[in-house]
Amino acid sequence: MSKISRIEKFFTHLVLTGLGVLLAAPFMYMISMSLASDATTSKLTFTFIPGEFHFKNFIRVFTSNLNFGQFLLNSLTLVFFSMVGQVLVSSLVAYAFARLRAPGKEIIFIVLLSTMMIPTEVTLIPQFVLFTKLDWINTLLPLIVPNFFGGAYNIFLLRQFITRIPVELDEAAQIDGLNFFGIYVYIILPLIRPALVAVAIFTFVWNWGAFFGPLIYVNDVSKMPLALGVQILSATNSAGQIPPWNLVMVGALVLTVPMILVYFFGQRFMDQLSLSGGSAGIK
Amino acid sequence: MRKKETLWFYLLVFPWVFGFIILTLGPMLYSFFLSLTNWDLFTSPKFLGWDNYIRLFTKDKIFWKTVFNTLYYAFISVPLGMLFSLFITYFLNRPIKGSAIYRTLYYIPATVPGVASALLFKWLLAPDAGMINRFLAIFGVDGPAWLLEPDWVKPALILMSLWTVGANITLLMAGMKSIPAEFYEAAELDGASPIAQYYRITLPLLTPVIFFNLINGLIGALQVFTQIYIMTGTGGATMGGPNNASMMIVPYLFNNGFRFYKMGYASAIAWILFVLVMILTLLVFRSSSAWVYYETEVRRS
Repeated sequence: MSKISRIEKFFTHLVLTGLGVLLAAPFMYMISMSLASDATTSKLTFTFIPGEFHFKNFIRVFTSNLNFGQFLLNSLTLVFFSMVGQVLVSSLVAYAFARLRAPGKEIIFIVLLSTMMIPTEVTLIPQFVLFTKLDWINTLLPLIVPNFFGGAYNIFLLRQFITRIPVELDEAAQIDGLNFFGIYVYIILPLIRPALVAVAIFTFVWNWGAFFGPLIYVNDVSKMPLALGVQILSATNSAGQIPPWNLVMVGALVLTVPMILVYFFGQRFMDQLSLSGGSAGIK
Repeated sequence: MRKKETLWFYLLVFPWVFGFIILTLGPMLYSFFLSLTNWDLFTSPKFLGWDNYIRLFTKDKIFWKTVFNTLYYAFISVPLGMLFSLFITYFLNRPIKGSAIYRTLYYIPATVPGVASALLFKWLLAPDAGMINRFLAIFGVDGPAWLLEPDWVKPALILMSLWTVGANITLLMAGMKSIPAEFYEAAELDGASPIAQYYRITLPLLTPVIFFNLINGLIGALQVFTQIYIMTGTGGATMGGPNNASMMIVPYLFNNGFRFYKMGYASAIAWILFVLVMILTLLVFRSSSAWVYYETEVRRS
């Protein structure tokens, strides 16, 4: 693109900075509130620029009886096993769709794609009944196990990726005596590693802040993931009483920081991904 | 060999097919059956026929309000968010230093999990001590009580939804990158201003991206839940206030199913939502040919 005049440059910066400040302001407030003292919290006299720096709020939530350590552990458990399930199973199913020929494959694939349009609410109540019957209420199982059946979106993404790998590689491996599962393990998996990381990132993002599922399936405070735990912390007070906003915002920050980190890590990674996957496929 | 391959295929896709039957197909059929019954989860379901649907459409005034609120929210917040994103991307795409920093700055709010942003905005929108009203007070504006006023609670939620435009911006920027630079060079030779270039080149070529985002945005907005649960009322049965002005379809479904254990009624609501989502998806798809501009059309003509 061509050069632009100084006035135009200045105006562009002005608009972008102005909007940027507006969008960053709530986030600034989150930080400022998380550092506020209990006295400030009870008087609700928070400031935009942090006036106090009670960093011990961040320690307090873990050492007091607020269960934050447990919440965090529950969230990590949920996210870790969800990622394992999605990466393993989605790639396996994607490989079958990309490489194997079988009657009925096209129909199954169309069904798979159309499930992406189904809102989760339609299956919610029967799933709740099913998990109740299995006695999985108050565990993380209803949130983890479905990931071990693969996700339509991830399968679609990985299938696209696998179709870009030259078929000659499979054929050579077949001549060397590998069966289809062997080809998946030794040929396909190593070549789609970047896409697998992408699936892991998506699964992290979808599950880390999940609220609706935990709200329905987990009532026991000690089993709750962080997102639900933080919400409970803000709501345990009866009407008229002021929630511990400073600690709630500490929770909100603890919930947010991993997402920002994943974004920064993920963005650099995705750039590489499209660079190496853009032309012929794999390098 | 062929037979073996077929066998392998079905073996490898089995996990997904099993999950589909157990967690999607079976539940959908069962949920449709439940929507025709009265069921409290503990005793056996009583078959009612279409009674739940008839009651929802003819007697349940809260349900109608719920549908209205949801459509109001979705059809204002999504297009408004798109306009806002397009406005920002115009400036982000100007050749200036630091555009990557701006882009990151705009994206960060989109990474904040729904629970965290709902808790934050519940406080920001507080009547007297909240940041937004204190900001308005600088200009002498006496801000409303936002979440506590029936007329202001939906605008408040829409305002909040604009905070996460970063996700849209990222996708729009990616779409812009794929527009060939020659188009702009040619336009410049013809003397087109930057704004004309944006309207004549960038926007038309971006329509597929815009269109995709609009559908996804609408479907997401119709299923809004977390904000309502956390920000309006004190959670659970009291959410959706004041006076049901912010009660939306999914929160209403949640209340019926998981607070009042009216599983049949809740299933009927779920099916209406399902149909609504499908209709919208089809409508947007069908209307797309009128205004979506695919690059392949250029090649063909």
